[in-house]
Amino acid sequence: MVFMSGSMLAATGTSTSGLVALAVALGCAASLLAAAMGIGWIGSRAVESIARQPEAGSRIFTTMVIAGALIEGVTFFSLLICFLVLYWLK
Amino acid sequence: MGVLVLQAGVLAEFNPLGPNQSVPVFTVWFGQWRLAVSNHMFMVGLAAMLLLIAVPLAAKPRVMIPRGLQNLVETICVFLREEVGRPILREHVDHYIGFVWTVFFFVLSLNLLAMIPLEKIITLLTGKENHFGGPATANIWVTGGLATVTFFAASISGIRQQGFWHYLANLAPRAPWWIMPLLYMTEIITLFVRPLTLAVRLFANIVAGHILVATFVGLILVFKSYSVATASVLAVVAVSFLELLVAFIQAFIFTLLSALYIGFSILPEH
Repeated sequence: MVFMSGSMLAATGTSTSGLVALAVALGCAASLLAAAMGIGWIGSRAVESIARQPEAGSRIFTTMVIAGALIEGVTFFSLLICFLVLYWLK
Repeated sequence: MGVLVLQAGVLAEFNPLGPNQSVPVFTVWFGQWRLAVSNHMFMVGLAAMLLLIAVPLAAKPRVMIPRGLQNLVETICVFLREEVGRPILREHVDHYIGFVWTVFFFVLSLNLLAMIPLEKIITLLTGKENHFGGPATANIWVTGGLATVTFFAASISGIRQQGFWHYLANLAPRAPWWIMPLLYMTEIITLFVRPLTLAVRLFANIVAGHILVATFVGLILVFKSYSVATASVLAVVAVSFLELLVAFIQAFIFTLLSALYIGFSILPEH
């Protein structure tokens, strides 16, 4: 889907804007992949540790939510850089 | 392929970034100086007024067993003081907890007010096109202002607690002399980058949520069919619930990290 839209822009616009769109889409995809892996890892370790010690469940859940939000913050940095690239190299 | 290009052209007319933008709503004149109030500034003022009315109202009963609004505000305040403040700030928690509470309630009310489509409600009631609403935290200058306040709060409280030269000296840990310049430069950069990440994290989370909702609503404009409208409205409801969760979580993360940075300043970590 993203490759199709990138090549569509290349067909309608100049030759560089298609490459820019492709680069932006690939950058977003790579950071999303890393974030999904990181949050999935945290989630699995949190579930394991709650299974080991159910009475610490609420503290572990709070820590998991905090770590998830921090990782999402890093993902959004890369999203912002992708937006900046898209709108600067117009 | 041609159909896709046509739909891409129609999609380009509805801008998903539109509902997040800051537009001037009215202008205040101070003699010959002009202050253009934008819709985000209006929302910040609205949130401040709501908090200035609601929080003293919540604190008025002062009964030992709180009920209603006092119970709600007191539960949040006690949670922030015991679970967030005390592990980080230890014995200084009561001195800085006012700032922590203010930041939490302000960011939370800004995030939640962004979920109410005020300008569309006013358009429904009065029939006039207006811009009296919008996600205030979707503006990098609003979150940047909040992060600047955190930066100054952390720095000033660190300087007041430890003295200026001790505060600067305790920025970096003990290390061999030949690595100290590099370490010190890294710590100085960290001092400025941390509040910047606070601002960007909050801004990007709220903007992403609102762009998602705007994109789903824009799909109705592109496809113009009832089945797509049904699916789109259900998706918007689901994403709005997620956005409410993100509003609470991001307000809590902003507050937690502000308290953490104040804690790093007043209790030397190394």
